[in-house]
Amino acid sequence: MSTDRTVTTKDAPEPRGPYVHAREHGGLVYVTAQIGRDPKTGDFVKGGFEAEFNQAIDNLEAILKASGSSLDKVVKAQIEFVDEGDLDSMNRIYGERFHQPLPARTSFGVAFLWKGARVQIDCIASLD
Amino acid sequence: MAAHRGVVSKRGPQPTASYPHAHLQGGMVWVTAQAGRDPGSGELVAGGMEGQLNQAIDNLAAILEECGSSLDRVVKTQIMYTDAADEDVIDDVYGRRFPSPPPVRTAWGVKFLAAEPGTEVVRVQIDCLAEVR
Repeated sequence: MSTDRTVTTKDAPEPRGPYVHAREHGGLVYVTAQIGRDPKTGDFVKGGFEAEFNQAIDNLEAILKASGSSLDKVVKAQIEFVDEGDLDSMNRIYGERFHQPLPARTSFGVAFLWKGARVQIDCIASLD
Repeated sequence: MAAHRGVVSKRGPQPTASYPHAHLQGGMVWVTAQAGRDPGSGELVAGGMEGQLNQAIDNLAAILEECGSSLDRVVKTQIMYTDAADEDVIDDVYGRRFPSPPPVRTAWGVKFLAAEPGTEVVRVQIDCLAEVR
């Protein structure tokens, strides 16, 4: 059995499927893709793309904190979103939330996301 | 031997393009995305999403074992699927196959996966990153 530490926190939406919030291995923490669900209610936040993306990053931040890391230690982020029209909002919000040294990033448009989410973001971060 | 290397297993569907089944480096193994293809014939298995995802996870498990790893050492998976109506079946099958605590996961819907002769289409593929024993 693996000796990795797994992390699940009440400060992010409770997993509604077979996954943990995060898993630590080899000095890195791997975080499950987060969508714009409210950690208290589990429902999508209202307010469209911008609200969803900010909430998804809030969830990511809460999981990183519970793992002993933080947004400024993210090595790589990956963003999937549904509507090309949200590209500028995505870049603006991301730029407001992530700071130097910025992580490497991959983002792309998808056909659809889990349970109708507009956007999701995952990451790999350092524990140092 | 190189410090990192690709691995092709007899137990997974044989690669049809320029990729191995997996790549080993630094105590970790990166496994190429697997679809629900039979390792013997290379054909897509029957059974819709349930059949395909079970076979894809069988293929991952066989490749992981060949690399000195296993499903319970998987750190992260990525799942790509073609139909939003399959989400509950994905969780059901995936939840039965991965030991607790499960890995972290990123999943997204795609327009298409691979071309397939006949009427059945590749509905899902799954890759992973795992720790080697």
